[in-house]
Amino acid sequence: MKIENHIIRQKQRERAKKNLLAWLLFLPALIVLYFIIWRPQVMGFAWSFFRMKGYRVEEFVGFDNYRIVLSNTHFVQWLLNTVKYVLWSLVVGFIPPYIVALMINEMVHLKNTFKVVIYLPMIVPGIAAFLIWKLMYSSDATGLLNMFLSLFGMEPYVWLQDGRFTILFIVISMTWKSMGGAMLLYFAAVQGISTELYEAAVIDGAGMWKRILHVTLPQTSGVLLLNLIRQIISVFQVMEEPLSMTGGGPNEASVSLGYKIYQYGIVGNNQVGQALAISGIMFVLLIICTIFYFYFNKKIQEQY
Amino acid sequence: MKAKKLLSLSLAAVLAMGTLAGCGEKKSDKIQISVGGWPAKEGQALDDKVAQKAGYEAMYPGVEIVPDTWAFDLNTFYPKANSGKLPTVYNTHYTEVEKIVSAGYAADLTEKMKADGFENLLNPNVAPIITSDGKIYAYPISAHINGLAYNVRLFEAAGLMNEDGTPKQPKDWNEVVEFAKLIKEKTGMAGFMFPTAKNQGGWRFTMFAWSFGADFMEQDADGKWIATMNTPECEAALQFVKDLKWVHDVLPSNTLIDDQEYFKLFSTGQVGMMFGADDTPANTVKYEMPLDDLGLMPMPAGPARRVTMLGGGLFFVSDKADADQINAAVDWIKYTGFTPKMDEAAKENREKLYQQYVSEGRLVGIRQLSPWSEDSEFNQFEKEMNEKYLNANINHFKAFNDSILDLEAAGIEIQTEEPVCCQDLYTVLDNCVQEVLNNKDADVKQLLENANADFQTNYLDNMAY
Repeated sequence: MKIENHIIRQKQRERAKKNLLAWLLFLPALIVLYFIIWRPQVMGFAWSFFRMKGYRVEEFVGFDNYRIVLSNTHFVQWLLNTVKYVLWSLVVGFIPPYIVALMINEMVHLKNTFKVVIYLPMIVPGIAAFLIWKLMYSSDATGLLNMFLSLFGMEPYVWLQDGRFTILFIVISMTWKSMGGAMLLYFAAVQGISTELYEAAVIDGAGMWKRILHVTLPQTSGVLLLNLIRQIISVFQVMEEPLSMTGGGPNEASVSLGYKIYQYGIVGNNQVGQALAISGIMFVLLIICTIFYFYFNKKIQEQY
Repeated sequence: MKAKKLLSLSLAAVLAMGTLAGCGEKKSDKIQISVGGWPAKEGQALDDKVAQKAGYEAMYPGVEIVPDTWAFDLNTFYPKANSGKLPTVYNTHYTEVEKIVSAGYAADLTEKMKADGFENLLNPNVAPIITSDGKIYAYPISAHINGLAYNVRLFEAAGLMNEDGTPKQPKDWNEVVEFAKLIKEKTGMAGFMFPTAKNQGGWRFTMFAWSFGADFMEQDADGKWIATMNTPECEAALQFVKDLKWVHDVLPSNTLIDDQEYFKLFSTGQVGMMFGADDTPANTVKYEMPLDDLGLMPMPAGPARRVTMLGGGLFFVSDKADADQINAAVDWIKYTGFTPKMDEAAKENREKLYQQYVSEGRLVGIRQLSPWSEDSEFNQFEKEMNEKYLNANINHFKAFNDSILDLEAAGIEIQTEEPVCCQDLYTVLDNCVQEVLNNKDADVKQLLENANADFQTNYLDNMAY
């Protein structure tokens, strides 16, 4: 018994020694994460229950900030708009990178060239990319898209100013900007599929569509599912796109919760508490998504 | 193995230190004040500032100026202010006073203003803007009123210039519409422009609606603020904006116009007329608008009043400053040329700024109101400088300059921004303006009823927070 204990303790000590170095190397990242992610998140959540003067805590007010935000006559619209961003981004932005990844995978020549070209928009700074798109969407005859329409003798269209589709057009530009990353992930997943599976499918007489349906899709469904949740989480926080392209207009048609945080917290006079309350609400909604993400992530890791 | 371990450890230590670097500051026994908006690029502006710093420190040996390139910016203001990293003194606009003072980030300058004898020299229109509960929180450096900016080239093409080079002056908004139609017809460009986005639309709309007799809020006997924009006057103003698009068709096709788009469209000759002021050249110069293309006229009259909004620039001193720093900061502002009592140094520095404008290709010659009394030395010197460094055809803004000298004779009233929740009001009004410009069937009356209710429940009722 004693000897056993001794051995266990020695093993523990050895492990701790080993871990110490790991922790030391991890420490800088930990400090940064603490200061720029965890601390602001926790403090923001705590402060959302206080009346704020600038960024200074004044007085505990319970759920008053939440009451003000939730009772805002436009809150439901902001929330629905945010959901609309997510839905449109799933319709427009979820499948194309997958298709592109499959196409590149099938290519014999210029594979890398296409990969780089499609990835390029990812490295354009966000605001710059959206200002370019804003110019393309310009509502007069000088807009690139309207020039295109005029080739077919069509009248200029107002694009972003058509409140019914403003979010759709913003989402198209977001997809252009960000699909490179998802494409690379899918590409890697597709490349990882064993060629034996394809060979077996070919022997069984499967054509291209059947191979995609019965081999590629099942083999990459894990990555697809994870990306789906990741996309929901990231699009839910959309903010710089409406800021740089529409200013939330026309008539609040493109105001997202993230953009409203900006308006409350930065533009408005002394409404930091309300900005924090919206952050709190988003935090709760997204944490639910994140729990799903980790749940599926674990499942999928077990699968491979 | 040991060497590897040592290397890893030292690597970890270096990384950890890297994250902690930047803490700690040097100390000095002099009074230190940091000055925001310091030019970051090499050039005349930076050279002038460096010379000013040397001159000032020679005049006030106990003070040290610390340059800070941060200039007022909404996006970084709160974090800077709360972490105590604001420059001791920095400049911004009248529109930001409510935000900064209500958040408690502005130092009380009353003592210093009294000591310098400036308290009673303030322009009576400007004094209430920078005063809160009887205390002065900002140091004004300019005061301007809005007028009608116009593009001389488009006016010429539309036959709207007189032979002597002065523009025909539209008396009221109906005439503005006539002019705008002419411009559109003769040049194909938009005759008039109304901004719509990022609070610009609401801001301009308040001023526009005042001329129709509208107001936006009032305080009842209990001190509670009540929204009052669901009136026939306000309706008429919004209807007028709507008609600009759907009846007269004189606006640009873009209906999401923020401040950048606003000045871009005008400076690049795509718009005939818009709201402008003596600070418009500071924006048009960015797009290299030819100096002789830019003109400014007094504000036309509305059905009820001929009224214009007062705006301008001012300096704030950080709330972290102690009494010595406040004194040094105000002395610095005075030294750079913004003081009702101009001494030689102030004059020299102020003149340098005009020389800088000229070298930048920025129009000089449009007069502004004085933030101090009309007969102050500052105002006299401004007049001299505007004449000395005039670099465009004065006839293009002569009527505006004349109206500045005697607003009463011109029949122009001055009004300052709405008293509370300005930015929220502008957001609400932005939506109204955007709706009427994008939706031909928008119901103006209903829109304003909703806006009124929204503004009341969402903002005025929550003012305690």
